[in-house]
Amino acid sequence: MQPRKILVVDDSKLIHKMFEVLLRQYTLIHAHDGLEALQCLGTDASIDLILLDINMPRMSGLEFLQQVKSDATLESIPVVIISTEGKEEDTLRGLEAGASAYIKKPFGNQELLNVIQSL
Amino acid sequence: MNSDYSTDSSATDETTFAALQATLDRARALSAQLQQQGGARDSARLQGLETQLEAAERDREELTERLVEAEHQQGRLMNLYVATYQLHATLDPSEVQATIAEIAVDLLGAERFVLLLRVDGEEPLEVALSKGLEEDNTSLYDGDQYTSGDPLVDAALEDGILRLGPDDFSEVIAAVPLRVQDAIVGALVVLKLFDHKAILRAEDRDLLDLLAAHAASALFAARVYSNTDRKLRTLESLVQLVRGT
Repeated sequence: MQPRKILVVDDSKLIHKMFEVLLRQYTLIHAHDGLEALQCLGTDASIDLILLDINMPRMSGLEFLQQVKSDATLESIPVVIISTEGKEEDTLRGLEAGASAYIKKPFGNQELLNVIQSL
Repeated sequence: MNSDYSTDSSATDETTFAALQATLDRARALSAQLQQQGGARDSARLQGLETQLEAAERDREELTERLVEAEHQQGRLMNLYVATYQLHATLDPSEVQATIAEIAVDLLGAERFVLLLRVDGEEPLEVALSKGLEEDNTSLYDGDQYTSGDPLVDAALEDGILRLGPDDFSEVIAAVPLRVQDAIVGALVVLKLFDHKAILRAEDRDLLDLLAAHAASALFAARVYSNTDRKLRTLESLVQLVRGT
């Protein structure tokens, strides 16, 4: 099943604008840190996919991911990490925390679309 | 009688047999001829189909290449559109600076960079924005100011031409002069890319050119607006004060 509603969690306004243009076929929900993203998940139960940055104020992406994966009602939502943290251990940490995929910034548009369509 | 009949019958059989044999031989010859002609036709048809298939394969490969190129171009244009949109989406100087930083990090892959601005045409240049400078060993950008010292940066600030490095005399990856009309008002200096971003590619050059053309004008427009807005608020306060007295 193709994801219909995507939660974008990133503190970069540029990234939000980019996703608005690139992912026009999806409904996007915007959050700028982990706390705001948790609030979005609390009020909208129809989110199909989460695109998640790591370095954010208030609550980092990894903290947010841990909370999502420890919540029985949210753990099944696939999470794609999109981060400038590009070391092997960063990728492993993200995947071990429960992310479905890890994309390094800067990323190719087609790379992102392929990952989203594969989930 | 029977004997005659038998003789006649035998002769007739032989004639008939010979005729049948001749007919069979002719049929075999015709069959062979037909098979030969049919085989030649099939072979020609097969060859024609193979030629068409090869042409279709070539078309498919060409279309695939064009599709990949079109997707690549679409990505380049999208990045340029988003960068331009965001640079001019606000009149808050700090937000414009944040956008320049986001373009440097998220689109170019800059791990370490510095934004230099010439305030009111004065020297030295102000370090308006930086990232990762704590790992810079050159000390050229210490104290929130840049006087001179890096040949690529100095050259870009001098003639307004974008410089790509590093070279024997500079570790700078890119020195992007920032222009407002004909004046060079600063530079974006990329000092290091992320380890997973090996080099600047052709599409990155487009982004650097865009930054050279748009970043400074967006930043200065925001600063002018901010200053004007501040003066306006001061004047309004004064007017209210005068009216109050």
